[in-house]
Order: sequence, then C-alpha cells, then structure tokens
Amino acid sequence: MIQAILVFNNHGKPRLVRFYQRFVKEIQQQIVRETFHLVLKRDDNICNFLEGGSLIGGSDYKLIYRHYATLYFVFCVDSSESELGILDLIQVFVETLDKCFENVCELDLIFHMDKVHYILQEVVMGGMVLETNMNEIVAQIEAQNRLEKSEGGLSAAPARAVSAVKNINLPEIPRNINIGDLNIKVPNLSQFV
Amino acid sequence: MLGYDISWAAFNIIEVMSASKFTFKRIGYLAASQSFHEGTDVIMLTTNQIRKDLSSPSQYDTGVALTGLSCFVTPDLARDLANDIMTLMSHTKPYIRKKAVLIMYKVFLKYPESLRPAFPRLKEKLEDPDPGVQSAAVNVICELARRNPKNYLSLAPLFFKLMTSSTNNWVLIKIIKLFGALTPLEPRLGKKLIEPLTNLIHSTSAMSLLYECVNTVIAVLISLSSGMPNHSASIQLCVQKLRILIEDSDQNLKYLGLLAMSKILKTHPKSVQSHKDLILQCLDDKDESIRLRALDLLYGMVSKKNLMEIVKKLMTHVDKAEGTTYRDELLTKIIDICSQSNYQYITNFEWYISILVELTRLEGTRHGHLIAAQMLDVAIRVKAIRKFAVSQMSALLDSAHLLASSTQRNGICEVLYAAAWICGEFSEHLQ
Repeated sequence: MIQAILVFNNHGKPRLVRFYQRFVKEIQQQIVRETFHLVLKRDDNICNFLEGGSLIGGSDYKLIYRHYATLYFVFCVDSSESELGILDLIQVFVETLDKCFENVCELDLIFHMDKVHYILQEVVMGGMVLETNMNEIVAQIEAQNRLEKSEGGLSAAPARAVSAVKNINLPEIPRNINIGDLNIKVPNLSQFV
Repeated sequence: MLGYDISWAAFNIIEVMSASKFTFKRIGYLAASQSFHEGTDVIMLTTNQIRKDLSSPSQYDTGVALTGLSCFVTPDLARDLANDIMTLMSHTKPYIRKKAVLIMYKVFLKYPESLRPAFPRLKEKLEDPDPGVQSAAVNVICELARRNPKNYLSLAPLFFKLMTSSTNNWVLIKIIKLFGALTPLEPRLGKKLIEPLTNLIHSTSAMSLLYECVNTVIAVLISLSSGMPNHSASIQLCVQKLRILIEDSDQNLKYLGLLAMSKILKTHPKSVQSHKDLILQCLDDKDESIRLRALDLLYGMVSKKNLMEIVKKLMTHVDKAEGTTYRDELLTKIIDICSQSNYQYITNFEWYISILVELTRLEGTRHGHLIAAQMLDVAIRVKAIRKFAVSQMSALLDSAHLLASSTQRNGICEVLYAAAWICGEFSEHLQ
C-alpha cells in the first residue's frame, strides 16, 4: 500500500501532498520537511530508494523518489509494493501530467493544483494502485473534462456564492452552531480581507 | 497542504459536495478527502449524500464519490455504505467496478464484519473479463492476505492459475509477492512454485518481474531449506541472475541485487562466496546505500584466508570515509566480521590488536566502547599475546594526551579505560 505521495520543489515547498493515512497537520508538515531533507542529500546518479524517515511509520516503509528538473516526486510505500513497479508508476504519473498539461512545468502544478489531484485520483485510490495504463487514465480525465465543460465550468458558479465569499466577514460568524445534538464550536479566526 | 487548518469549513464542504453539478461536486469531494477524518463532527451528514451519489446515473458522480470516500471512510460510514458498495461491484461499467473493488479494502479495514458477505463477490471479480477490475481484485486480496495469510491459503490454486495465464506484469508481481508471503506456511506450495517461477525468470524481460520472482524463489528455498540438494540448480540460477543485476550500471538494480543476495546469504552462504570479487568492487561505489549493502554481504563471505585482505580494504575506506555515520558503520562491521563465531577467522591476534589500536585514532566515533570491549576480551582470553597487548596499551596511554585533547566527548575515552585496565591487570608484562 502507498502511504503518502509528496511532490515538492528543490527548495522544499510542497506542490502536492496526499496522505492515505491520517496525520495531524503539524505532523504532515514535519513529514514533508523531513522527507525533503532526506531526499535533498541524494546525488543524481545514486539509487532511488531510501529507507528511513522515522516519522512516517515503522521499518516496513521506504521512500521511492524521482527527481525531474525542479521537482521531487516521492512515494512512501510499504513492503507489499514492488520498488521497481512504483518507480514505473511515478514515470506514468509524470507522463500523464505531461500529456494533460502539454509540456508540464512547476507552474502548472501551482496554478492547477485541483487538476493535478484529479489526475492522481485516476492513478492511485485509497493508497492502492488503480490504473497503470497511461492511455486509460488520460481517456478518463478527458471524459471528465468534457463533462465539466458541458456544465459551463467554474465561471458558471452561482453569482450568490461568489459574492458571498467576497462579502464574508468573519467576526459575524456565530460562535456556536447547534443542529440537533451536534455542537460545533467555531474557532476564532483573524480578519482576512 | 500548506499547513493551514480548514476544519472550520467542514459544513461548507458538505454543501458543495451536495451540488448537482459535477464540477462542484468534484471540488467538494476533493476538499473533503484532504481535510475530513474520523474526528470531524459533521461527517455523518455525508452518509446520505454519498449514498445518493453512489446510485447516480452518471458514472463520474459515482466515481468521484468513491474516490473521495476512500480517503475519509470511518467505521460508521463503512457500516452504512458497505451494502451499496457491494452492489456497485457488479455494476455494468468496469470503471465503477474497479473503484468499488478497491474501496472495499478500506471498508474492510474500518468495518471488518463486512468482509464475510463481500468475500464471495470479491472472489468472482478475480475472473472478471476486464483486466483493470481483475487487477484491482488481485490487489485487494493480496493486501488482505498479507495481513492474515492463513485465511487465504485456500485461494492459492486460483492464484496459481492466474499466475500461469496472466500477462499483465502488475498482476503477476502482486501474485508472486503474495506467494512469497504464503510459502512459509505451506511448504508444499513452495515446491510446486519453483518450476513456474523458474520459467518466468527465464522468459520475462521486465526487470521488476524478474526481481520479484527471484525474491520469491529465495523465500521458497529458505522455507524448504532442510538441505534438499536438487534445489541447488535454482539457487545457482538466482545467484546468476542477481549477479547480472548487480553488474548493471543502473544503481537501482545494483541496490536491489545486493538486497536479495543478502537474503540468500543467510541460508546458502557458499553460493554467494564465489562472487566475492564483485561485492568488493561494490564497496568502492560512489553510492552510500550500495556500499552499506555490500558491507552487509561481506559479513558472510569472510574466511581465514581472506579476512586480513578484506579488513585492510575496509581500513582504507575508513580513512576515506567522509560522513561519521558511514565511518561508524564501517567500524562496527570490521569488529563484527573479526569477532564473529568466537574469533573463528583470526589467525594472528597480534595483528588484530594493532587493527584495534589503529581504529582508536578515528575521530568522533560513537563506538569507543566496542573497541574497548574487544581489547579487553582478546587480552583476557588469549594468554599468548598479553605481552604484546600490554606494550600496545602502554604506548596508547603514553599518547593519551593526544586522545584527550580532541574536543568531542566521544567514546574514545572508553578505550583509555580498557588500556589502563589491561596494563594494571597484566602489569607483570610491563617494561
């Protein structure tokens, strides 16, 4: 099973973070930082398998990574996955990104984070490999894109929703939301423009 | 992703998930998959929404719901939705079947009682006409079997058939890994596997598959290791193939080859010994992980004749080694190799003492106590060299000011303790 998929750039900024196991957000950030430091030390012509990274689990886990230009793609897997197979999968994922974005670069991952997630969702689901054939994956993504286009895309969002977000004034949000026997306490957030 | 908490928006996310348009629904489920977890209060509000989406006429709505659910399924959600997902396993579209089969694993993890009713259907999916669904079913059963191998031994014949008939590399790799996990429990299974695995090894061109086959053959042979001579051919074949892997210029293959060799080493050390030259070559590699693996292998390859030569080579590495972890690793290994099986391979203890003294000159090591323990051990047990040992120790103590002046509080102080003890205990040899 794949436990996490991380993509970050040469300075350690995360570009895609997907955990298939629950971690608190501070631990998540710590894992990303630690993985970055481990992977940064590696030269380009040594092997792509790393054991270690104490945070993300016990001794069964290893990190399999690939370095493309400015990005590191890291998959944290356990011993039920074949190492060379996962290396292959990273390649398939990157090639799919390339096909869907046409000469993909880091900016695409920054500005179209949601699309990258949708592509990843067709490759790996719930920590297990869903599809390894690039053509299949691309076909599914294109079908969903067509569906989205036919619905008018995001620009057709209800005007109310857009103006609601624009006019959001946080201090006016109720402190407590009580629905039936649900009791949600709304945290105190600072003003944001 | 950047570390900002969005749990306050949980309810809004649910509202977006219930949008009728696919575009918005997709966004809602994505946000949910990134932020919902078992502690989210409002997660039970999603049950009905997900149920509606699972029975939606549009396959992409269902797909998006399944994908999102796989990331935040809780025991309650699993219990409520298990039946719906089970019906989806027989959906007309293979896209949905694939996803439904894969999510069943997560559902089983959270709500184990759902395994029993769903299992017959899961078994059916192993013979599904669509290769994607078949591979998803293999994936799920392999994961389940790894957790609990005994219950799945009965499926072995079915997997055997799949292994011999399938051409999809991923499926084959999973099945072969599964057999590797099952063979310790059922030696007869291992015997039957040797032949098809050997055939696969000869016929495949995919390195990943080759590696997994070799690994499983090794596992089989370890479980059968009651010394059956006719398996030496298989061992030879494995070692030969591993040698090809290690000689490859691709670092990854080298690493994996060395990893597998060390497994063979534990039960069949003789077969590995003929490749000593290759392993020694790997010690010179630029890649630290490969050097560490080669070190592990060396442990089993020493003999009385080559011990000194190997240790000499390791000492040159110790001098060259940059980082202290690698150096420490080398040090521990040198000591391990020399002291294994009660110093079986050492012919000249005086030489060993001089090696230990040389090791004390290393800066910043954490293993001073190891060197100290070795010195004490040898001095006490080998009467003949006590005189030599004492002379070396007193020389060491004389140069103690050199050792003590190093700024790091490292384990070298322990060596001084050992040196002083030896000189004191065997003071009759002091000049």
